[in-house]
Amino acid sequence: MSFEQIIVSGSGDSLEEQELSLLETLDHVLNRGLVIAGEITISVADIDLIFVGLNVMLSSVETAQQVLRERQKKSE
Amino acid sequence: MKLHVYCLVEPVETLPTSLHGIAGVLVRQLDIGDFSFLVSDFPDRSVPVTRGNALAHAAVIQSVLRETTPLPFRFGTLVTAEQLENYVTAKREALKSRLEQVRGCIEMNVKIISDHKWTDVCPAIETQETPGTAFLSEKRREILGSEARAAEAKRVAEWLEGQVGEVVRQSDIKTNLTGRLLLAGAWLIERERVDQFRIKVAEARQQRPDLHFLLSGSWAPYSFANMDLEFKTHFGVS
Repeated sequence: MSFEQIIVSGSGDSLEEQELSLLETLDHVLNRGLVIAGEITISVADIDLIFVGLNVMLSSVETAQQVLRERQKKSE
Repeated sequence: MKLHVYCLVEPVETLPTSLHGIAGVLVRQLDIGDFSFLVSDFPDRSVPVTRGNALAHAAVIQSVLRETTPLPFRFGTLVTAEQLENYVTAKREALKSRLEQVRGCIEMNVKIISDHKWTDVCPAIETQETPGTAFLSEKRREILGSEARAAEAKRVAEWLEGQVGEVVRQSDIKTNLTGRLLLAGAWLIERERVDQFRIKVAEARQQRPDLHFLLSGSWAPYSFANMDLEFKTHFGVS
């Protein structure tokens, strides 16, 4: 059994497999896994993740961005 | 100094050594009760979400997965040793039960993407419409399209589960998604059956050339690790 995170995509996808693999990894580490109540502390400024319009993921980061936008609006 | 927690494992002798985690800090094993946690020291109050940090977190868990099945923690879990001890005390039985559930297994994921234009299920009416009726007409198309999409997603989910069901231990399939993504499924599979799962997905893919399949794995059981939904995420600013 291989432990490589292989991505098999249908034809016509514009994303490279490497990018898809990265996005899948981010989806797992940011959105899933054990949580200790109140102990997730992440920082989203200066973000260097890649964003694509594949609707695959990054709900955590999208939520974070929304929070930051709302904060910014309040401070204006 | 807080600890960044990567994963929880049953104590085993073959855990990888010399692992470096977030910020390049050496990962160490912290034994509490019946469990071992992989942790690294972290000096700040929040973990920046960068590509490097996210991949470092994933790499530590992936290294452990080669030896045993861990329960992965979500990225950004910062605790003190005392908080971790309290967590184990409070959740001991639930953690043991969850470890038992995933023992000997890995997670595989399939995402299915459809290029179908769901608004086409209800053709636009060619009449001289006022702006108001044109808006409502378009809204109606969107709603009917959304309903058709949801129904198709459910059908595809049931079909796929039928294809792979006999080789998996547990399933978690989400169909209430948006855009081109029709469904996102996670399956908990015994290690010796993973190749069978791959074959089943390949066969399913041949049956539905109209759909795009994204198969990924092997993962630690991220989708089967969470025990309670109650959590709070703090967003800091670096």
